[in-house]
Amino acid sequence: MNLTHPYEDITTVYYALAAVLLPLFAFLVNVCLPGKRNKISGWVSTLAILISTVLSVLVFAGIWNREPLHVQTLWFTIGATKLYAGILLNNLSALMLLLVSLVALPVHIYSTAYMGHDENYKRYFSYLSFFCFSMLALVVVDNMFLFYAFWELVGFSSYLLIGFWFTKSKAVQANKKAFIMNRIGDVGLLVAIIILFTYYHTADIVQLFGDNAAVKATQISALWQSIACVGIFLGVAAKSAQFPLHTWLPDAMEGPTSVSALIHAATMVAAGVFLLGRVYPMFNSAELDILAIIGCFTAFMAATIALTQNDLKRILAYSTISQLGFMIMAMGIGAYASSLFHLATHAFFKCLLFLIAGIVIHQMQHIKDDNNLDIDPQDIQHMGGLRKKLPVTFIAAVIGSLALIGIPLTSGYLSKDGILVQAFEWSDSKSWVYRLVPIFALLAGLLTAFYIARLIVKVFFGELRLLKHHPHLKIHLGDGGWQYRIPLILLAICCFFPLFSINPVIYEQSWIVGGLKQNIILDRLDIYHTIIPVGATILNVFVMYFAYNMYVKRKTFAFPQTGFLYNLSYHEWYIDKFYNTVIVKPIMALSKTASWFDKYVIDGFINLLKNTVLILSKIAAFIDKYIIDGLLHLLTAIVQQIGNFARNFQSGKIQYYLFSMLVIVLALFIYFLF
Amino acid sequence: MISMTDFLIVSAALFCIGLYMVVSKNNAIQILIGIELMLNAAVLNLVAFGKFDRFTNGGQMFALFAIVLAAATTAVALAIILNVYRRYKTIDPNKVDKLRD
Repeated sequence: MNLTHPYEDITTVYYALAAVLLPLFAFLVNVCLPGKRNKISGWVSTLAILISTVLSVLVFAGIWNREPLHVQTLWFTIGATKLYAGILLNNLSALMLLLVSLVALPVHIYSTAYMGHDENYKRYFSYLSFFCFSMLALVVVDNMFLFYAFWELVGFSSYLLIGFWFTKSKAVQANKKAFIMNRIGDVGLLVAIIILFTYYHTADIVQLFGDNAAVKATQISALWQSIACVGIFLGVAAKSAQFPLHTWLPDAMEGPTSVSALIHAATMVAAGVFLLGRVYPMFNSAELDILAIIGCFTAFMAATIALTQNDLKRILAYSTISQLGFMIMAMGIGAYASSLFHLATHAFFKCLLFLIAGIVIHQMQHIKDDNNLDIDPQDIQHMGGLRKKLPVTFIAAVIGSLALIGIPLTSGYLSKDGILVQAFEWSDSKSWVYRLVPIFALLAGLLTAFYIARLIVKVFFGELRLLKHHPHLKIHLGDGGWQYRIPLILLAICCFFPLFSINPVIYEQSWIVGGLKQNIILDRLDIYHTIIPVGATILNVFVMYFAYNMYVKRKTFAFPQTGFLYNLSYHEWYIDKFYNTVIVKPIMALSKTASWFDKYVIDGFINLLKNTVLILSKIAAFIDKYIIDGLLHLLTAIVQQIGNFARNFQSGKIQYYLFSMLVIVLALFIYFLF
Repeated sequence: MISMTDFLIVSAALFCIGLYMVVSKNNAIQILIGIELMLNAAVLNLVAFGKFDRFTNGGQMFALFAIVLAAATTAVALAIILNVYRRYKTIDPNKVDKLRD
């Protein structure tokens, strides 16, 4: 080990290392445990992540706003190039370490109950621990190659967990889709890493992107720099579900809901944003502008899609895509700190919302099973009136939704309005076209308020819509045991402002923004800082009231269920269909052609060859059997005949001997006579 | 007067009868009789040709000698036949074919 910064106390590093390795240890223990539904596995994983969380808190306390810790050891040497591997603990990685373990802990507790009746309980927790290990390692490694390895591992564990119920064909399709989409991004990231390594001869994150960033100090040719940035962006877009690679995330909801909460809402999908945070110095201003536009577009598009979806988890998935779009946009407009701040706040409230969705779906499943109904338990059109049956869940859902919308006093307000304010400031210095970015972001925010209000209202208010069609349902619902309540309460508390800022209305005073700012002066320079939060809040409240009226009171008009805009939203902007037509179908056609070619031409040729050889060998066998063997048989037959002929003389009958002797003597006599 | 040729014809006929018996009969005694007939044919020949040796009577002497020898061999042959019968319970030479390969 060598310390780049001489530091007396490296206990923190050991804590971080232990925090990372404990879930791996839990994974290994779980793999070795006997039985498919071994209840111990859940507690092993939960205990590991609990200790990891405690250690992460210690690491965080030791690192935050202090000198970064960077410990590395020689990994391997190729020629003259030495590659070091190690742990980099700065504000960003300490924050992520804490965030991941803090979100993973409630999800583990929740899972012990949520997956309790699954017959593959042990496999679930093995995968979950493996994911936690990969994710925690991803945030602390200091080397781009190691980063890439763990980047792949989180993708792989996500693949395993999406396809956890691999007997469902939809789940298999979804995990295949996620895997392929992520593969596109991974190739991009690998290309970017290789380009960087080629130019700078190091994969060390500190040397590349640290204080004296190599990417700033020496410029590489513009073309390669662009390719590297596009590669990084592809990686980010695939992992964080940004347009055009976002379509896997809604399908990934086929996995268990607790997995969706941890991986596809809070942690793994944030890895893309985290990557941007790590490599931020390599982007130039033009590339950042493109990033902002794509992020904004994704945020808006996903929000419009979420408006009309009826699948509970799908709405939340699009909401996640939308919020990730916000983070990417924030990175693009230079709101580095706000982006990561939003990442942190979003992780808590979106995880909370997914856990709630899990409870609701479980209860609907119970109704379905108890009454033998043929309904989709995730369809919000069947739900309603659940607030009286599930009070704790209802309150947590309201808190989570308010945080998602960004109502004052919640964490979402601080982070989201921070991004909006900075977006308006950013567009001030640019041409009018760029003004569209903050405006669309604002619109996306309002749409968020509408769709989440629609969701809450449809699920929790009014009357249970199933009763209309099936009036005699047996219903006994409840919030569930403490494994359900404690995670909800824990996460709901994290949705409020005090965890992030002392001042509930001014985001600049949040400690996360303070700890991560990159030489950006966070003064309340202009009118935006006042007008936007206030305006956005008022509009949000208005939109929520509108949605409440529309779906509960039925006072206002209902939206038409036809028309171009409705269809566009309902069919998810036809992106999946577009991919299907433009990419999937031609590839399928191509592979069918290739398969045909393989089957009939190549195999045909081989079969022809086979048949030729077969016929030839049959001929050879015929020749061998009837001609060569025939000759031999003939020879033996002749010899046998001769032998038999000779045997006849040895008949053992004396008179016969005598007679033959007589014949021969007579013959000789006659012969000599003439 | 009986000529020399008549003796030889009778002797040849005797010999052929003997030979035929030896080759065709199924009974060892009859075969033995055949052999005796052939021997007697030879003896007849010896006696017939003995007229050319009137002083020493070599032919007559040799005929007597052959008759004595024939009696001896017949005794031996009968003993063999008796033993064959004891062993095989038959004297049909076709059934005593242990000599074959």
